Amino acid sequence: MKTKVNRLMIGILMFLALPGMGQDWQVPADQLNIENPSSYNLENVKKGKDLYLQNCKSCHGDPGKNNHLPLVPPPPDITSEQMQANTDGGLFYKITKGRGGMPQFETTISADDRWRLINFIRNYNSENEQLLIDAPPVNAKILASVNEADKKVEILAEYEDKSGNYQQLENAPVFISAKKAFGNLLLGQALTDKNGRSVFSVPETVIGDEEGNVTIVVTLDENYKADQVVLEEAKVGKPKEVPQLIRKEVLWSTNENVQIWLLLSYLGAAGAAWIAIGYVIFQLVKIKRFSKQ
Amino acid sequence: MERNTRRNFIRKLGATVGAAGVVGGTSILSSCNSVETSSGDKIKLLTSSGELVEVDKSQLTPAEMPNLSENQTRGREGLPGRSWVMVIDLSKCRNARECMKACQNHHQLRPEQHHINVLQMQDAEHTAPYYMPKPCQHCDNPPCTKVCPVNATFKRNDGIVLIDNERCIGCRFCIAACPYSARVFNWFEPRDAEKYKGVTYNIEANVPQKKGTISKCLFSADRLRDGKLPSCVSACPNGVYWFGDRNEDAVTNGTTKETVSFSKLIKDNAAYTLMEELGTKPRVYYLPPKDRAFPFEGELIEHHS
Repeated sequence: MKTKVNRLMIGILMFLALPGMGQDWQVPADQLNIENPSSYNLENVKKGKDLYLQNCKSCHGDPGKNNHLPLVPPPPDITSEQMQANTDGGLFYKITKGRGGMPQFETTISADDRWRLINFIRNYNSENEQLLIDAPPVNAKILASVNEADKKVEILAEYEDKSGNYQQLENAPVFISAKKAFGNLLLGQALTDKNGRSVFSVPETVIGDEEGNVTIVVTLDENYKADQVVLEEAKVGKPKEVPQLIRKEVLWSTNENVQIWLLLSYLGAAGAAWIAIGYVIFQLVKIKRFSKQ
Repeated sequence: MERNTRRNFIRKLGATVGAAGVVGGTSILSSCNSVETSSGDKIKLLTSSGELVEVDKSQLTPAEMPNLSENQTRGREGLPGRSWVMVIDLSKCRNARECMKACQNHHQLRPEQHHINVLQMQDAEHTAPYYMPKPCQHCDNPPCTKVCPVNATFKRNDGIVLIDNERCIGCRFCIAACPYSARVFNWFEPRDAEKYKGVTYNIEANVPQKKGTISKCLFSADRLRDGKLPSCVSACPNGVYWFGDRNEDAVTNGTTKETVSFSKLIKDNAAYTLMEELGTKPRVYYLPPKDRAFPFEGELIEHHS
């Protein structure tokens, strides 16, 4: 009986909570119809894209892929109807002020840039002309090798043309990273020449393992579908310094960690005390013997 | 001498294919033999990934349980060549407390026990309040390890300060010595004590917890051994935590998975450590709460923990 009542109560609470969860994000009326002062052109949309990748992608995911973070409420995809139904002023207000899981960007992104972000979001509105054409990724492959003597990574990139043949990939950015404990640290990028080749000099400051071996990862940008090339243990980095943090002797609460000078002085002092006691007893015995004589 | 004619080539090819067929056939036969030995008695098992599978009883071999002393030896040694550091970006914390939840689940803590706590801070009367997650600082010069009379708490070479609950006598000297109040005492039977009865103690996670002993943040040393980020770092939805190896000068954000240079991150953002005047040399670095992504919400509650 009690569980039935509990279930009913939970049901009622969920019913009451539902409209609250889906509640619209109210934008003040005076903010709602503000027009976007920044013009809708390729330059602004491109800048907006950079800002989006830096600040918004981690939660909202890639445009059109619905791969946002599983948060409650879910961050909408920017191509979705829910997002595009907002007015420019409404979007600006929401980006500026934030709410709940959505951070405020008032302090971190300038007003001009926030408007540029809106231009980027509008690139995915069906009523607008699409300025950024997202072509599907092209099949490509990378070959890379390390020249350990010169500390250089030599790269050859090719892409698959329409007839299925591999051609040299010109003027494409190649990203070179070093494998670290939990991810890849970007070392820099290089541009391929007209032969699809590129040479990247590994910076002097790169730290490898104890022998200076670095695992280098070479990737192309998102316009190309290519397996990343992993060059295991290339000796191009500085050897990792591993300072010893602890000296075993510092802790001497157990016998195996005791410091040798401490052990010797203790044993010396204790030994001296026993010798003194023995000497006194010996003297007493001696006195007694003398008194008998 | 045999001539290299087409006929000879075909003959050789035939011999090779035939030999391969014989080898393949025997291996298939032998696999049939092994099937025959199965008892037909099936048993249902839950895999570590949560999948229910059926396995023949004859296929089962007893799992090797990690030995207690072996666990403790490797726990005391640490991961060679590593020097773990954490960077906490105060401008990103929204008091979501996902780090606390994940930590309590990982270390089987009761709801009132915190290895990591999100505090509400206000440095002076007119300064802006902010949220500050505070784990154990894993000092390079830890006062706690020096006062332990039984060497139950110790520092490893990879920078983590751990506790051996099998050795701890519960004297609480370490709690008194820690200036960051990072340690908790198990006054009562720990959470799920019954459930984990008889499970081999893991020194790198302090589980199962033990009544009458001390527990504290361990940077999820058991997860690090598996190449995973600590629980709190992975659980944060707002990108507050960076974690990595100082020796290789790289830290990774738990939320965005971005890896950056540790020295550049702390230099560019004017990072600081807590109570550095005490000379404890903490391993947890804080980035100031500048340009807060989430404004402080509600009233500031005065508490000291």
